[in-house]
Amino acid sequence: MISATGDGRTLTIALFVVFIVITLGVTFWARANTRSADDFYAGGRMFSGAQNGVALAGDYMSAASFLGIAGLIALSGYDGFLYSIGFLVAWLLSLLLVEMMRNAGRFTMADVLSYRARSRPKVRTAAAVSTVTVSVFYLLAQMVGAGALVSMLLGIHSGGTFLGVSGEAAEVLTIAGVGVMMIFYVMFGGMKATTWVQIIKAVLLISSTVVLTALVLGRFGFNLSTMLGAAADASGSSGFLQPGGRYGQDVRGDTVRTVLNKLDLISLALALVLGTAGLPHIVGRFFTVPDARAARRSVNWAIGLVGVFYLMTLALGFGAAALVGEKAISEQDPAGNTAALQLAHELGSHLGGRLGGDLLLAFIGAVAFATILAVVSGLVLASSTSLAHDYFGHVLMLGRPRESQEVAVARVAAFLIGTLAIMLAVVARNLNVAFLVGLAFAMAASANLPAIVLSLFWKRFTATGALAGIYGGLAGSLLLVLLSPVVSGKVDPETGRNLSLLPKGVDFQLFPLENPGLVSIPFGFLCAIAGSLLSREKAEPQGYDELSVRSLTGLGAHRPA
Amino acid sequence: MAGYSAPRPRRGSERVGGYDCSIIVGDRRFRLLRSRFRRLISVLFVLFLGWYLLYIGLSAFARGFMAQPVVGNVNVALVFGMSQFASTFLLAWCYSRYARRRLDPLAAQICEEAERRREAYTRMMAERGRMDDWFPADEPAGGGQA
Repeated sequence: MISATGDGRTLTIALFVVFIVITLGVTFWARANTRSADDFYAGGRMFSGAQNGVALAGDYMSAASFLGIAGLIALSGYDGFLYSIGFLVAWLLSLLLVEMMRNAGRFTMADVLSYRARSRPKVRTAAAVSTVTVSVFYLLAQMVGAGALVSMLLGIHSGGTFLGVSGEAAEVLTIAGVGVMMIFYVMFGGMKATTWVQIIKAVLLISSTVVLTALVLGRFGFNLSTMLGAAADASGSSGFLQPGGRYGQDVRGDTVRTVLNKLDLISLALALVLGTAGLPHIVGRFFTVPDARAARRSVNWAIGLVGVFYLMTLALGFGAAALVGEKAISEQDPAGNTAALQLAHELGSHLGGRLGGDLLLAFIGAVAFATILAVVSGLVLASSTSLAHDYFGHVLMLGRPRESQEVAVARVAAFLIGTLAIMLAVVARNLNVAFLVGLAFAMAASANLPAIVLSLFWKRFTATGALAGIYGGLAGSLLLVLLSPVVSGKVDPETGRNLSLLPKGVDFQLFPLENPGLVSIPFGFLCAIAGSLLSREKAEPQGYDELSVRSLTGLGAHRPA
Repeated sequence: MAGYSAPRPRRGSERVGGYDCSIIVGDRRFRLLRSRFRRLISVLFVLFLGWYLLYIGLSAFARGFMAQPVVGNVNVALVFGMSQFASTFLLAWCYSRYARRRLDPLAAQICEEAERRREAYTRMMAERGRMDDWFPADEPAGGGQA
């Protein structure tokens, strides 16, 4: 159990203040160096492949993966690792698409689609709707997590107070504080500030994970097998090191349920692996480098860093299971999100007594906080870029906005989206919103990926196809989640506890899977194909030729000023 | 394809930055580049997705196999999971190497030639502009002979 002593608290806050001061400095520097739309949306396209690769990794490694996966492994064993693998393998798809997208696009996914739908601003609107929806859902999951994390770090969990504020009020204040910071980074610093915040955060996160991993393995004589054995023993479950502890569970005597559970696992796996390449905050980062080669290099960097990081989640998760124990973790947080922090405390205490424990906990806590802050900033930037560039610039102003006007709108949009996210997160702060991460990936894979892939590779793709694919995939995945067990009608068969979002008794569950990907991704592709074939409009072959020349050769691609 | 290969003179549009892409689309080297790229990404896509789905499928349906120990407490599931990391690194390396050797030089050639054509076109237009200055459009050139 973490004892959040006064010293530890002060240290966490002090470290976090240092992070804030540094990033604020970066933001002021970025503000002074941001003039054009290229600067605001794409950091002037002047980041090197390596810098952008570190920032990509920073954008991607959310607190959900740092704290969430470690907790999942610590509590359910091997199955948490399935997430790590899905999150990494997904990057190969981004690698295959990144060069074409960098060459063809300017700031957003809609720039790539617009070749095939020149006369149809509606496609821009659809892309903006999808971008904002995906980002806001993802944002919500992160911000609710931030509230819970901070009240735990400050030890104001149940009924306690800190500086005279109750736990409940502190959570609301934290969510608001994180929100204000992210709005500030994005509004003032745009892509330049956001990228540097990501880089700082990624370096902090990866180096502290390396330290934790080394300490964990050191406790077991750097023998992986010994650590796994200790984790399995401590868990007391025979299948702790095998798949099946959490996903795709076998239900004795119920074949239908068993098969559905397994399909659910496959559905989640597909959403993870196909969703990454359609996440707006990842796509937006493809445009911050001078050319396609640098974009390729940056994805390679991201693959390396993300891979090393997710490999280390094994040590964090199994280490926490072995050294902290399942009981202590679920006492602190039944979802396991505190496992990595408790592990840090345990490792520190082992090295340097109480002070050591407090020190390491404070440090890792501050890193986790920085992680959340960086990821939410990336999301706000992606959605405000799409609103200003796609909707305001190309739909409202018919593609002829003044650059300064469009950037001003982007700043206002960042403020509005940030405020909306704060309000939603405050409302949802006591709900279990962890499923939103999987949902955001499923939506990105169902709505954005079909439009991107078909516009790059299919000659007969039309504007109607793009509209049908985006709206169909988006609506399909949302509807399926609404009718799924995560929203209503899921009850623990043993304890009778409600496991859904809505209170017990409300039950309109029709769709059996928790993640919609398995159905909604094919549905999104189907809509896009059917829309193209059934619409009366002809595909514009000229647009396709231009797109293929430009995406493959880089002729006419946007270069740094 | 054949329909687009004939060079159609038209004013360079804004989107391709003044390059006439109808000529490029008909170029043999561009078609080679396109087919190589498509082959590369379809092969890699099938490979990585197939390998990943095999792993997920085994995790879901072949638990007995996945639970078999390999060394000490390390079982097949763990080795298989780690091999997904190795394969991701390997495929990323293969892609980048192929792109560097077989795609980048081809694309660079196409770009260089398009650039030369664009310069020639610009020179020609400038020349025509000068001629128009000598023979203004409202007085047809050589009109005196009519």
